[in-house]
Amino acid sequence: MNFVPLALYGVALVAYAWHFARREPAVGRSATTLLVAGALAHTFIVGMQTMEVGHVPVTNASSAISTFVWLLALAYLYTEMTTDERAMGAFILPLLVTLQSIPAFKPGTEDRAAVLQGPLFGLHVSSLLFAYASFALACVIGITYVLLFKEIKAKHLGFFYARLPSLQVIDQMNQRAIVVGWVFLTLGMIVGAVWAGQARAYAGGDPRVQAMSLQDPKIFVALVCWALYSFELFAARRIGWGGRRTAYLSTFGFAIVLLNFVPISYFLTKSHNF
Amino acid sequence: MRLILVGISYRTAPVELREQVDFVARGVEAALRALAARGATREAVVLSTCNRAELYAACDDVKRARADLVNFISEFHGVAPGAVLPHVYDDVDLGVARHLFRVAAGLDSLVVGEPQVLGQVKEAHTAASEVHSVGPMLNRLFHSSFVVGKRVRTETGLGSGAVSVTFAAVALARKISGHLKGRSVLVIGAGEMGKLTALHMKSQGVHHVTIVSRTMSHAARTAEAIGGASAAPWDDMDAALGASDIVITATGAAAPILTKAHVETVMRPRRNRPLFIIDIAMPRDVEAAAGEIEQVFLYNIDDLRATVRENLARRASEVARAEDIVGEEVEKFGGWFRSRGAIPTLVALRQRFEHIRLSELERLDFKLSALPPEARARVDEITHLIVEKLLLTPTEQLKSLGDAETVGAYAEALSRLFGLAQQQGDEEDAERTPPRPEPVEGRVEQFARSKGRPR
Repeated sequence: MNFVPLALYGVALVAYAWHFARREPAVGRSATTLLVAGALAHTFIVGMQTMEVGHVPVTNASSAISTFVWLLALAYLYTEMTTDERAMGAFILPLLVTLQSIPAFKPGTEDRAAVLQGPLFGLHVSSLLFAYASFALACVIGITYVLLFKEIKAKHLGFFYARLPSLQVIDQMNQRAIVVGWVFLTLGMIVGAVWAGQARAYAGGDPRVQAMSLQDPKIFVALVCWALYSFELFAARRIGWGGRRTAYLSTFGFAIVLLNFVPISYFLTKSHNF
Repeated sequence: MRLILVGISYRTAPVELREQVDFVARGVEAALRALAARGATREAVVLSTCNRAELYAACDDVKRARADLVNFISEFHGVAPGAVLPHVYDDVDLGVARHLFRVAAGLDSLVVGEPQVLGQVKEAHTAASEVHSVGPMLNRLFHSSFVVGKRVRTETGLGSGAVSVTFAAVALARKISGHLKGRSVLVIGAGEMGKLTALHMKSQGVHHVTIVSRTMSHAARTAEAIGGASAAPWDDMDAALGASDIVITATGAAAPILTKAHVETVMRPRRNRPLFIIDIAMPRDVEAAAGEIEQVFLYNIDDLRATVRENLARRASEVARAEDIVGEEVEKFGGWFRSRGAIPTLVALRQRFEHIRLSELERLDFKLSALPPEARARVDEITHLIVEKLLLTPTEQLKSLGDAETVGAYAEALSRLFGLAQQQGDEEDAERTPPRPEPVEGRVEQFARSKGRPR
């Protein structure tokens, strides 16, 4: 089922890359159309799974990744439509295609345990996935910032100079994505803590619930992420960090998010191994 | 109908001659009317810019038209034919299309890829439309050239990148600070260069320009000359630096006036707000090491010149892609152009068939007269449909023929097979009234006829 959006994202990636290199407006428009088609197909799949299991499909790593990719595609499309800037697509799409291939080739089955039902759990996972999608955008935006910054500093105005928006605009987009991501990360973690407290009361015997503590790698790394992004926001507002430093931090932060999201989810965590 | 071009450009003639044959100075409309009155051409467009004076025309006899157009240039401008002739170039049919497409694309310009020429081509066509001197041929040709110009601009980087130092500076400022609206510019030095650059920035919509000079009265005078700018004393330079996004230094100082340490102090309270410094002074006003500071972007005049050179080189590398687009569009136009060669034969063939149909209906009139009016109308309709069906394939085939020679051979064959020879005289009318009526053409022909066509 996840193959249809994967295929559409794949073709959209080619179109975005082509558009980035050759700047043919028609190709750019078709790239967006393909991505919209992929996102719609993905919406349909996520919607169907939601109907089937009664909540957003997030209770195993594969379906959580699929939902994350879906949110990222929507977040990117929102950014593209509001800024009328297609250049970032060439950087976002590779991430979409790579991540989407995980649920497409290794689908998981939805865990229907009673402990994983309920509005708090849904809110916890959806906020975190949305936060991760925002951080992914910030990371890509940060990479483009560094590429453009280097060209201008080196006084060698070439490929990226001709294709990317101004440094100021990229910096603003980055900061906005970080703020949105941080808000949802905070919300998701608080809701998660509250939910874990409640779950201990009525499902204390579940080994996963027992493992929910700061010693669990997934929870620990999530806290590290929160500290990192909090520092980034603080630095931007108080110390006057911005531009390249923020860009590097965004990239580094998302590397940790990705580490937490894929390998740790699959192999290391005891509390979140759905 | 054939296409012809006669012209003079910066490639073939010195500026003195180009000034003498400037059609804009003497009136393009007057030129078009005078040209139509001579009667050697059926349609005409005059393209006159500071780099070129070109006459595009549709005619029946290219030899005669070529000679007449050259004479026209010399007579209209009162220049001896001997002075004009050595500098004139000409082309016919698809060569004309290729030339105009290259002009519209900016490939034939002095600065390759400059965007103004497409506007000038459009203006030339509009001016000719207003005096009804264009018909189906030149309309098609010029509209195709607009397509070429637009495609080259959007699909290639031929027009991208600033090719003058001031434009390069403005483009860089935009790339660093985003929109220039709301940005502040500080000019250090009240000299001519600083003033010019500031004026340019102002015309690009910057919020505020401040001038700082060692002599306050000079700063005030320059600020006044720029209009809407303010002057500040030399001692307030640090405050002014802190408030600016773009700094232009253009003093005559022998030693740098802004050291790295100085700029560092200025940058500290700015946090991460970028500062773009353009040092156009010679010797330089800003220590080169200042460019190492994180959010300081320092460009001196040589750096800007280097980016301009790079842009020019990049444009040159896009030329091949632009030429490909020109080639494709010439091919498309060629398809249409060649199909027009078949039109006289097609019209003659159609007339022949229609003539046969009508005469047969007339011959059978005594038999048909017994029928009720609806049935007679039906007979008329059916016979008409049969003729249309018979002609459909030959029409398509003829229109899709590749080259003029084949068209000629087919025309000859059809003419013999169907006895079209006696209708040769009608061919000129056929050319005037093609199957698809185009209102513009009607007007043109009226115009041409009223001025007296050559016999």
